[in-house]
Formats: sequence, structure tokens, C-alpha cells
Amino acid sequence: MKRVIAFILTMALGGSMLAGCQSTPAASQAASQEASSEAAKPVEITVVTSYGGDDGNRANYEAAYKAYETATGNTVKDASGTSNEEWKAKIMADFETGAEPDVLFYFNGVDANKLVQGGKVVSIDEIRKTYPDYASNMTDDRLGASPADGKNYSVPVNGYWEGLFINKKVLKDCGVEVPGADYTWDQFLKDCETIKSKGITPIACSLQEVPHYWFEYCIFNHGTPSTHTKLPASSTDDVGKAWAEGLNDIKTLYTKGYFPKNTTTATDAETFQLMADDKAAFAIDGSWKIGWFQENAKSIDDFTVTYVPGENGRKSTDIIGGLSMGYYITQKAWSDPAKQKACVDFVKAMTTDEVVSTFGATAVTALKNGTIAKSDTDSLEQAAMAMTKGATGITPATQDGLIQTARTALFADIKNIATGKTTAEKAIDACLAIKS
Amino acid sequence: MNSTIYKKKSPLAVFLIPAFLFMAVFLYYPFAMNIYNSFCNITGLGTAAEGFNSPWYLNYGKLFQDPIMNTALVNTMLLMILTIIFQVGIALLLALLIDNIKKGTQFFRTVYFFPIVISATALGLLFNLIFLYDGGMVNQLLMKFGMTDMIDWKDEAHFLFTMMTPVMWQYVGFYFVIIVTGLNNISPDIYEAAEIDGASGFNRVRYISLPLLHNVLITCLILAVTGALKVFDLPWVMMGAGMPMDQSWLTGTYMYNQTFTMGDVDYGSTIAIVIVVIGVVVSQVANRIFKEKDY
Repeated sequence: MKRVIAFILTMALGGSMLAGCQSTPAASQAASQEASSEAAKPVEITVVTSYGGDDGNRANYEAAYKAYETATGNTVKDASGTSNEEWKAKIMADFETGAEPDVLFYFNGVDANKLVQGGKVVSIDEIRKTYPDYASNMTDDRLGASPADGKNYSVPVNGYWEGLFINKKVLKDCGVEVPGADYTWDQFLKDCETIKSKGITPIACSLQEVPHYWFEYCIFNHGTPSTHTKLPASSTDDVGKAWAEGLNDIKTLYTKGYFPKNTTTATDAETFQLMADDKAAFAIDGSWKIGWFQENAKSIDDFTVTYVPGENGRKSTDIIGGLSMGYYITQKAWSDPAKQKACVDFVKAMTTDEVVSTFGATAVTALKNGTIAKSDTDSLEQAAMAMTKGATGITPATQDGLIQTARTALFADIKNIATGKTTAEKAIDACLAIKS
Repeated sequence: MNSTIYKKKSPLAVFLIPAFLFMAVFLYYPFAMNIYNSFCNITGLGTAAEGFNSPWYLNYGKLFQDPIMNTALVNTMLLMILTIIFQVGIALLLALLIDNIKKGTQFFRTVYFFPIVISATALGLLFNLIFLYDGGMVNQLLMKFGMTDMIDWKDEAHFLFTMMTPVMWQYVGFYFVIIVTGLNNISPDIYEAAEIDGASGFNRVRYISLPLLHNVLITCLILAVTGALKVFDLPWVMMGAGMPMDQSWLTGTYMYNQTFTMGDVDYGSTIAIVIVVIGVVVSQVANRIFKEKDY
């Protein structure tokens, strides 16, 4: 009896192991029949975006794709995440292993070079051969051409800008005027000194975690909108010298005690909380931060955003901004007759003037007609719109030209530059030495 | 009753093969690939290798020139020592104290073991709030007691205390339960005999409990030493990328950072091999130093 039981168990185990690998003739026949009639049926498309987690536009994204589902009958399998280096790595791994999504909302800078060079995504020109009105509501020059071959691959939604967020209440308490478009770096330093003398932290920034925005503008202050995106070949060429001077400006701010006392050990969230608690006056961040202020500020009217103070060749009204992300259709989905149209329709639905406007009316846009202004904008959003409208120059962030490893290494060194553990020149050369 | 099923070994193999295949696919193959990857040039997670490094042992040379790797190794060794002293030491002390009380043993067992069941990430967030610079529990208490300047518990003067305290605290309960179980296995007759002979409480611990706990303590020490090499989650949540000023790296956190944040997968693989090698060496050394005794 036990032999029989053992035999049955063995067979059951063996069978269960092989079950997943099996493809019965009946099943293949059914799949084949299904494929032949699939083009007419609703399909499921897999979409990966950065609108996952607690992204400020998550609700807008969900509303937009659900409207697409209702209109087309197709289903969206949403696999969105939060944009960070791990998210980027996971996407690259998915492409590498053939598990890429059908539609991807991703960066259009060097981060996507491997996708473009590997033929993993389809160019807009290619798509327009079959669907001529694809992204026809966008200005082609602003779509964000790939640095790999200069062609457009992605259709952007909400662009971004980076600006100086200000706690007006703190400035008022310190007797400092709210800066305007003509704010200079020297005035800024004087204001920081005044604020510091009142026992308040002038600048909310974590040099340990997110020095990105101060890096960007301090570098920009030693260049112009036309030169800002150029990468140095070494710390001794003109661009390299500008970078070193910018990084040394950060060191000056640190040495003068304008950053939080724990800037080399604090997280970005900790330092930004100082803004909400009226314990810090200035912070540089991006358009996506407006949502944070709307959620965390006691009164949104206590905050405004304006131009980062300029010096040298940069006017204060020259800003960092652009369209760094957009919707890609993957080659895998494009080659699938069942999914091709569904993906094209999805991108078109997600990039209409109306949908784009819900994602950030204050942001830089590629829409030919511009974004449609919301009727219920608050004072911070109005300030942001005024800032982008009055900008005399817009340039993308230079850090987007660096590969991930080099970028991370450089930012990790900024706290070392500020504290004197390394020099700006050494940090730049170490970053540039990382080629791939 | 002697069935032939137990004499014929071939059916057993059928049941063992799935587990072996599982281990081969998900442990031994990745480990072999990890060794191979450490010689390659891999510039991002999920990206294919772009050939071998030049020279092929580049990463192994880099290990010796990398000051952060040196910091990580020193911190990991320090963690190992502190683990032995504080995790096993405090667990032993608590277990001996609990062994001497009549009531509430189960209560204290639960209380001390509880941190183990909380995820390290949650504990990290909890201790982050406790040691927060602006508005943290400890700083608020100190201010109440008259301190004027807040302490940055993650600066270079305090980070070791801030990072190590939660790690020590979390696992005390684990070793406590093991040692209490060991103490329960000691026959009460021996204690009674000692008591009749006039042995004091200290002498009973010194001459009865500790010698009879020898093998249990050895197991705890080996678990603690090898476990210290794998500590990752709590320090990562609390200290992030080597905070402050690249001083708090451990081998585990540095490997993760190199692989996932920096995208230097081949160097991350090399650090992983170092962790395995240290683990094997340390456990072998610990086995030889702390030999189990037969009673």
C-alpha cells in the first residue's frame, strides 16, 4: 500500500513540476485562433510611469487612464513606481530580460540612450508613418529629442521648472523683503546673513541627500542658458572651471552657516519640514514640490516661488526647466498588431491638451496651444505661472547629461566639497573619469 | 512493519531533487554568476556585461584602494564585537535575572522578544524619530532638562551610538529566548544540591549556570557574529548613504549602494564576495575558538 502511495505522490509531484511548462495542442490551437481575431478585441496594455506611490499627479494619471479604458474598452495594467535610481534600474532590467512594458513614461535624456540605441523604443517619425496625427498637438522642437540620435521618441506631459521657494512669513519676521525678478546673488547673501542673525536657518537643503538643485543653479550662475548644458572635459576647461566655481559657491554658503546645522546628516524631508515649520526661509526645488507645499503649509499664502538669484552671465530670470520625460511606445508593443493601435490611442489620450493641463498648468509645456489655466489656482501656483511666463531663458538641467554613476558620485561628493574634505576640482575630475 | 519503501532510496531522490534544483537555480547559480560578474564591466542593474574588466581583477585591486570599503570593513568588525558584548551579553544577563524570578517569566519573555517581530524598516523609522535633530524625542527631553543646543545624533561624534543602539536592542530578545531555553534545560536538582551545600546565588551562576550554558552560548556567539555581517536594513533606513560623511558604511549597505544606487554592479558583486568570504572565515574561526563541549 505504501509503495502505491509513494508512487502516486511521486507522479503527482513530477506532474505538478511539468504542468507549467506544458502547452497542449488544444491550448496552442486556441491561442492561434485568438491571435487571429485579437486585433478587433479589447486588449490589455502594460504601462509603466513614474506616477506611482505618492506622486502629486497620481490622481490625475489614474483619472486619465481610466477615462481611456472607458472610451476604448482596453485595459491598462498599471505598473507605475516612484522615480528614483532603483526604478530606473528596474526598467532597464525589464528591457534586458524582455519583460518591458508596452508603454513607458520615462526620461528623454541620457538615461534613455540604451533604449534608443538598442532599438527598444519606436521613434515618433516611425509612428507618424502609420498614425499621422500622433502628438500633433505638440511642438516637435520641444518634445525632447534623444541625445543618442537627435530623434524624438517620447511625447511629454508635464514639463518642469526649478525655482526658489520662499517662506514669506519668515522673511517678514526677519525684516527681509520678498525677492523679485531682479534679485542678485549679493543681495541673497546679505539676506541670508540677516536671517541667520535672527536665529533662523536661511536655506533648507540637505547636502547629504539632495544637493541637486543648488548644484544646478550655482553652476548656472557661472554660465549662460546657451552654455549650461555643456559638460566639462576636465575641471580645467572653461565649463569645468564654471562647475568648480559653482561648487565653491555651495561651500561658501555652508561655511557661512546658511544651511541647516545638520545639513550633512539630514534627509531632504527633514530640511523641507523646516520650511513648513517657519524655521527656514529659502529652498530651491522643482515644479513637483508645489503639491508638497499645498499639503504641508499651514497657509499656502505664506509661500511663494520666484527666480533663483543670479550673478555673472546668468540673469535671475533665466531658469532651469524643460520636458525631461515623456511617453514611449516600445518596439515590442509596436510589433504586436493587437497592441499597436491600443498603445497609440493610449499615448494620444494621455497627452491631449486637457489631460496635460491637469498635470501641471504651471509647468513648461510642449503643447502648441499652451496649457489651459485652472480656475481655482492658489497664490503659489499663480506665482509659479508668473515666474515661467517671465522667464528670459529656459535651459534643461545639466545633471541630466551625466550618466547615473557619475551623477551619483558627484552629488555624494558635494558634502565633502562643502566641508573641505575634497576640492571641487577633484570631485569634478573623479565624476568625469566615470565613463560608463 | 519494515516496509521496502524505507529500504529503497530511489523514491527519496525524487523528493530531494526539487529542493536541490531550487537551491541550484536560486542560490548556487546566482552565486557562481556573482563571481563571474565581479570580473566583468556592468554599468547598470539589469544591463548585460560589456566584456571583462581590464585587467580582469580590477575590482579586487579597487577594494584595497577604496577608503569607504575600509570604513565599511572596520564598522562591520566593530558591529561584530559589539554584537557579542551587547546582544549576547545583555541577553545572558536578562536571562539569568528572569531565571531567578518565580512569576512573570512569560511576560518578560514576550516583552524582550517583541522587537524581533517588528520589521527592521519600521524600527528604523521609529528610531529616526527618536533621534531626530529638530523635534526628536531625545532632543526634546534634553531641552526639557535645560540643554540649550540640540544634539545632531547622526553627526561624526554620535553616529556609532545612534546606529548601533537599535541594532543591539532589536536582537537582544532573540538570544534571550535561546539562553532562557538553555537555562530551563538545566536540572533544578543541581541548583538544589548547590543550595544545600551553601552556594550563594552568584556562585550558582558562576559554577552551574554558565558552564552548563556553554554550548548554548557558543551557538549564540556564532549566530551573532555571522548575523552581524548581514545587518543591512536598520542601518540603511537610519543612516542612508553612509551618513555622516561616509562614516557609517557597513559591508552590506555599501554593497547595496554600489549596486542599486551607483549602478556599479560588478564592484557590488565583488563586495558581495568579500562578505561571503569574511562570513565563512569568521564562522570557521568562531567554531574553532568556541568549541562545543560534550557533557
